[in-house]
Amino acid sequence: MAQDAVLKVPPEAAASQVPEGTDLIEWYYERGYSDGLPLVPPTPEKVKAMLTALGGEPARRVARVPPRWGSLTREVLAINTVMAGCRPEYAPVVEAAMLALCAPPFNLNGVQATTHMASPLLVVNGPVRREIGMNAGHNVFGSGNRANATIGRALRLMLLNVGGGWPGLLDKSTLGHPGKYTYCIAENEESSPLAPYHVEKGYKPEDSTIFVLAAEPPHSVTNHFANDPEGILDSICSAMSTICNNNAVSAGHCAVVLGMEHAATIAKHGWKRHDIRHYLWAHSGNRWGDLYGNGRYGKVYNRNLPVWYKREPDARTPIVPSADNIHLFVAGGEAGRFSAFIPGWGHMSTPVLRAVSGAAPSAGGPQCVDGTCYL
Amino acid sequence: MRTLQVYDPRGVVEASPLASAPRAKSLKGLRLGILDNTKWNANKLLRGLRDRLAKKHGFEAVNYYRKESFSLSAAPELIDEIAANNDIVMTAIAD
Repeated sequence: MAQDAVLKVPPEAAASQVPEGTDLIEWYYERGYSDGLPLVPPTPEKVKAMLTALGGEPARRVARVPPRWGSLTREVLAINTVMAGCRPEYAPVVEAAMLALCAPPFNLNGVQATTHMASPLLVVNGPVRREIGMNAGHNVFGSGNRANATIGRALRLMLLNVGGGWPGLLDKSTLGHPGKYTYCIAENEESSPLAPYHVEKGYKPEDSTIFVLAAEPPHSVTNHFANDPEGILDSICSAMSTICNNNAVSAGHCAVVLGMEHAATIAKHGWKRHDIRHYLWAHSGNRWGDLYGNGRYGKVYNRNLPVWYKREPDARTPIVPSADNIHLFVAGGEAGRFSAFIPGWGHMSTPVLRAVSGAAPSAGGPQCVDGTCYL
Repeated sequence: MRTLQVYDPRGVVEASPLASAPRAKSLKGLRLGILDNTKWNANKLLRGLRDRLAKKHGFEAVNYYRKESFSLSAAPELIDEIAANNDIVMTAIAD
C-alpha cells in the first residue's frame, strides 16, 4: 500500500463501476485493500444484507479509526465485513467490537502504531456465540471456524483500511504476530465449571458481550501432573513470570485462558474465579534485579511501572498491578491438560468489555459469581 | 458496456490541512519548549540537547514539559500551554 493511497481522502461515494469481466479479487489486491489474503468481492446485495443486519442507516458514523482517523460509517463497516467473509448475522458483533476498540481507554492509536507486536484479542461471551456458530472448543485459537476467523479478520481489515495501520507506514510493529490476521475466540461457557467472564463483570448470563485486549500471542502452559489448583496455577505463574513479556516491563492487563481439564480440576476443589485470579497474582512476578540485568546497566527506575512497586534488587515485581488486571477465561476442547497465558501490551491500553446491544451491566444488588454473592 | 460495482473500503478522512510554522532564522533570545514523551531515554537525550543548545544560543527561557503517557497524544491543555509560552519546541522519542 503506497503512502499516497493510505492518506488520500477517498471520494464521498464508496461505490464505483468497473467493466464486467474484471477480476475483482485482483482489482482489490491492486488497490491495496487486502490483509494479504484474497477478499470476498462485495456486491450491492451482500453489502445491503450486512447493512440490514446492522439496522440500516448506511451514513451513520460508528467511529473514527486511528491513526488515520478514517470515518467508519455503517456502510464502510458493511463493506469491510463482507470483504472479510462474514455472514450478516456476525455484523452486530463486529460493530460492537469496533466501538470497543475505538473507545478512548483502549488507545487504539497507540496499539496500531506501536513497535510492540500487540494486536487486539476479541473474546465473545453470551448467547450470541451459539447463535452465530462460534467455536469455543478444540483449536479455539486456531483455524477452522468461519465466525471466529472472519469476525477477527473484519476487525483487522478496518484497522488497515479505515485506520491506515499498514505495516511500516502507520503500523510500526517490529515483528507483528499471527493474530494480526484474526484473533477472535469465544468462551466455552457450556462446558466451563466457572461462571462466564461477563457475569463476573456484572452482566447477566443472557447478555452477549465482547471483550478486547491489546495482546501478545498465547503462551501455552502444559501441566499433566498436578491434580490440585496450586500445581496447575503454579505452571501458569511460571509462564507469566518472564522478564520480557510486555506486562513485566509495562504493567497493564493480561489474560489467562484455562483449558477445560485444568478448569475442571481447579473447580473440583471449590476454587472460584477470584481465588484463581488472586493466586495467579500473588504467586507470579519477577525479582526486580532480574528485570534489568542485576545492575549491569546502572540503576533503572522504569516509569512505566506503578510508583508503589519496590525498586530494590530482591523485591517482587508483580506482572500486573492487581488480580483484577488478570482477565480469566475458560475455553478449548474437552481433552488436554493445557492452558494459556496471554500478555497484554501494558498500561498504555485498557481493555474494554461491552454488551453487543450496548446495554450497561445490571445495576444495583449484589454481584453474584459462581453462586457466591458479594454484598 | 455492462459494469460491476466495486467499493472503496477506506472511509473518508475529515481533516483540513494545517500549515507548518515558519522556520526560526536564529535561536538567540527565543523561548525554547521541550516536550518529553516519557519514553525510557527521552529525558536523558532532551536534557543533554537542552544544555548544549542553551550554551550555544542564549535562550530567553527554557521550559520543560512531560506528556502523561508516551503512547497518548499530549493533552490539549498542555499543547495550548506550550504554544502560548514558547517560540520553538523540541521533542524526541528515545526508546
